[in-house]
Amino acid sequence: MLKVIAACGSGMGSSQIIKMKIDKAFKSFGIDVSIHHCSVGEAKTQINNYDVVFCSAALESNFKSAKEKGKTVIPLRNVLSEAEIKEKIQSHIIDKQ
Amino acid sequence: MNAIVSVWGFFQNNILTQPAFFIAFIVLVGYMLLGRKLYEAYAGSMKALVGYLILNVASGGLVSNFRPILAGLKERFNLSAAVIDPYFGQTAAQSAVESIGRSFSMMMMVLLVGFMFNLILVLFRKITKVRTVFITGHIMVQQSATALWILLFCFPHLQDTNIIIMLGILLGTYWAVGSNLTVECTQDLTEGGGFGIAHQQMFGIWAVDKIAGKFQSKDETKNKKIEDLEMPGFLSIFSDNIVATSTLMTIFFGAIMLILGKDLMGQIDTSMDTSRSFIFYIIEKSVSFAVYLQILQLGVRIFVSELTESFQGISNKLLPGSIPAVDCAAVYGFGHPNAITLGFLFGALGQFVAILGLIVFKSPILIITGFVPVFFDNATFAVYANRKGGLRAATIITFISGVLQVTLGAVCVLAFGLSDFGGWHGNIDWSTIWLAIGLSMKHLGYVGFGICLAAMLAIPQMQYMKNKKYYFSITEDYDSYLAEMQADECVEEVA
Repeated sequence: MLKVIAACGSGMGSSQIIKMKIDKAFKSFGIDVSIHHCSVGEAKTQINNYDVVFCSAALESNFKSAKEKGKTVIPLRNVLSEAEIKEKIQSHIIDKQ
Repeated sequence: MNAIVSVWGFFQNNILTQPAFFIAFIVLVGYMLLGRKLYEAYAGSMKALVGYLILNVASGGLVSNFRPILAGLKERFNLSAAVIDPYFGQTAAQSAVESIGRSFSMMMMVLLVGFMFNLILVLFRKITKVRTVFITGHIMVQQSATALWILLFCFPHLQDTNIIIMLGILLGTYWAVGSNLTVECTQDLTEGGGFGIAHQQMFGIWAVDKIAGKFQSKDETKNKKIEDLEMPGFLSIFSDNIVATSTLMTIFFGAIMLILGKDLMGQIDTSMDTSRSFIFYIIEKSVSFAVYLQILQLGVRIFVSELTESFQGISNKLLPGSIPAVDCAAVYGFGHPNAITLGFLFGALGQFVAILGLIVFKSPILIITGFVPVFFDNATFAVYANRKGGLRAATIITFISGVLQVTLGAVCVLAFGLSDFGGWHGNIDWSTIWLAIGLSMKHLGYVGFGICLAAMLAIPQMQYMKNKKYYFSITEDYDSYLAEMQADECVEEVA
């Protein structure tokens, strides 16, 4: 099972939207996931327990060290766009397997 | 008959007037109505109960951590202090509501009535011209809390039922109209992203989008873009809310406690260990605010995620074709990261200057910067302002916004009798639009309430007049809408 974290500034609003949207997208690919949503600060401290981070493109720089550790970081421009999410899951996760 | 009365009495005393159990009850009933399985409904209501009780632990902690500092300021300088932040605001509103012997459960009922009224407005969108449903759960909790106190403050003798209906309608209208107002400028910013904003600065966003263009210099070469700036790397640590909150709290409360001094703090706070260094006492005390805020947010997140998901489900089921309205952070992906940092920075600068102003001009209220308004309002404004007016607009507007957040925040604390409770909502709509709504209700009573309601309902009508053809299809057919608007501009120029 893929362990995914959805992060935003305060871990309240947009991270939950991301969670709902990516949950739908992963289901359509038939990928089994567990998704946790939280703030960027919390995400950084918990990154070791997860495989993939989704966040707003503006917050990507917070996850430099996560990338160095080999975690997949997926920045989203439009957190509501199912097309963008599906395309990025395809290119960042499925194509790399 | 007696049996019914005593059953109702039991329900009223143990569930209806106890917010934690009431919220759990609502989630339980809601899930059953949505046709979820019994064990899912049980799990959801248990999480709601735990979430709310966590929130209570945190707000109790915030209040008791704050109390000695408030007392010290009162004794030494005869000053009151308030943190402008919706979490502090919500805690202050709860204490204020309970201080006059009313039940805070009303907050949850107001939220539900408000949400339903928003749905009704969208359901009749052919008449009301409202297209958006506000589903950002944590914001709805905070706003219901603050608005509940404003209404109780204006109409202290009104019965619970009347309060809930009146405020539900007023707040539902604000949610619907405010988020609807952000659709056009957000479509413009996101080039057809397909959503509106449901947050704490919706009227603010609209205003920023309108004025930002005026900051453009005639000389094109002078118009700097935010993208060209080289920002120092260390600033990025402030997009981490834990770091930003602890830093802000240490600066402000540290300064206050240093000025009050070890002797006075030791007298007031009996838990202080005088053998320890005062500096470390200050740091621990200041950072404790960030700790309680983290706990508070954890609690809110647990019970609100149940809420947001079911609201999303309900609005999708009942209202296909409505436009989703979401958290303001959804637009951050469309702005340059520099815009977000710069908005926060200039907003903070505006706030600090205004706070100095409050001290110099001997304001009876001292305002303390909270993280949420200074970051989320101003970062959002900077993103919108940069698109229309470049660097100049983004910096000037966020600076002004910071000044307004502090000065009008102080006015709100005074106007709504919150000076003993240490907090105010703080976001820009609440210190402008809701200050106006509150003052008109306080002075004009029901007439004021009627005027505010009518004025808000008139806004989508005016938006509709401007663009009848694509008003409802703007998220599906953004390109035709753009073509139409450009054609209009050409006609205006020729005329």
